[in-house]
Amino acid sequence: MSALVRSEWTKLFTTKTWLGLLLGACALAGGFAALFTGLAGEDEGLPALDDPVYAELVFSVAANASVFLLILGIIGMTQEYRHRTATPTFLTTPRRGRVIAAKVLAYALVAVPMALLVLAVTVVVVQIYAGARGDAPPLNADNLQTLAASGLVLVVFTVIGVGVGALVRNQVGAIVGALVYLNVIEPIVASIGAISGAYKWLPGGAVQAITSDFEAPDLLEPWQGAILLLAYGLVAALVGTALASRRDVL
Amino acid sequence: MALGLLVADSGGATFNGRPYRDLPEPTRTVGAVLETAFHPARSGRNHLRVYCRAAGYPIARADEVLQQVGLADAGDRRAGGYSLGMRQRLALATALLGDPSVLVLDEPANGLDPEGIQWLRGFLRHLAHTEGRTVLVSSHLLAEVEQTVDRVVIVGAGRLVREGSIAELRAGAEGAGSVVVRSPEAGRLAGLLQGLGRHVELEDASRLVVTGTTTEEVGATAFAAGVELHELASRSSGLEQIYFQLTSGTEQYAAAPAGSATLQEVSR
Repeated sequence: MSALVRSEWTKLFTTKTWLGLLLGACALAGGFAALFTGLAGEDEGLPALDDPVYAELVFSVAANASVFLLILGIIGMTQEYRHRTATPTFLTTPRRGRVIAAKVLAYALVAVPMALLVLAVTVVVVQIYAGARGDAPPLNADNLQTLAASGLVLVVFTVIGVGVGALVRNQVGAIVGALVYLNVIEPIVASIGAISGAYKWLPGGAVQAITSDFEAPDLLEPWQGAILLLAYGLVAALVGTALASRRDVL
Repeated sequence: MALGLLVADSGGATFNGRPYRDLPEPTRTVGAVLETAFHPARSGRNHLRVYCRAAGYPIARADEVLQQVGLADAGDRRAGGYSLGMRQRLALATALLGDPSVLVLDEPANGLDPEGIQWLRGFLRHLAHTEGRTVLVSSHLLAEVEQTVDRVVIVGAGRLVREGSIAELRAGAEGAGSVVVRSPEAGRLAGLLQGLGRHVELEDASRLVVTGTTTEEVGATAFAAGVELHELASRSSGLEQIYFQLTSGTEQYAAAPAGSATLQEVSR
């Protein structure tokens, strides 16, 4: 298995996709951290720098970069089908479940330093910018917990991406589908009264439960959200594995 | 199907007595080139390293097989920029990583230029005859196959049509032992040969196809009668002709029944 994980890492780091997505994730997290810090207390609805809600908001914004890691996972899986390397991959390892398991493991492990980098960018931006504006939020237990929660979201979304890729296989379809789901379907579900109760059980609801407990309409506890999100990641990977093992590779 | 990529409705295939997916180190037993599949942004060398790692071979194997297929200089270029021939070579290199005793190649000559085809011919012979590997080639380039292979398996519409060495197939084919003669006095020669009990077909005013005879007999007959000859050749059926004879009517994608009938005529 470790040979297969290393093989996945070789695949990942011998093209530049990961670099672009990592930079995108850092830019998104750092950019929004700077925006919230710059507007803190000045724009209506944004808490002031010394407000704990500001700290939670600015440290949880990193979780939004999860969309880049989701795409990383999707591309990691679907490129095998898009570029037809699934053939040599499955010829080398005919037990396809092992390939997908190795991919999930490889991407989960790679997502950890990537998530740490995204968090580090966020913290550095906040400390420098908020410090310059007079009051940097402390890295106390509360805020570290928020950062850890964001990091968890980033890692789990990478795994979900691999699972979605194994399910859908068509790269464009998988990415578009995932983005439409997260940005169109979930917000609509959350906004319709009759079915908004379902939102807390969806991945987006789980993310919100993990990263914020303010402005929360009806969400799970953070730890419940974490388990739910992990379950989504695992189910996607398991269903993807089961399908990949049965489907014909042409 | 033999390699476990497609699920068979029934039946199975084994290598050294085991289904492909049950082989402990499959790419050490069987190396396959089914399609030339690479990530376009990855270099040829890195492509090979991926599969070295997955199979647990030393990374240096990537350089060895690049050398073997003559791609050593192009190893660090993006595979997306390779020519068709280079892709074929890289795919072949991938199959050779595990130093397998069996090679399965699907249309390996596709897209190769004349030098590439000549190289491939020599390389496959080297793998089979010098190194003693089994090389299974599927191809539609029958003239090419004829120059390379030892044994032929003809499959038509999913069924085994014929199996054997090229010589065996030739011997069993229609038109075996026929002789083509060109002469300004074709009509007179035809009469003489018919007199010997040979079957003669007059293709046009100066050309005969005689069956059940030898070039020696035709030559001697002509000489004795003082018939001038412009051409005297024994006709051996090409693999292509044999193929059409054996598969006509069974071809799944024949344009129309009339189409296959025409093909059969051509082969006669």
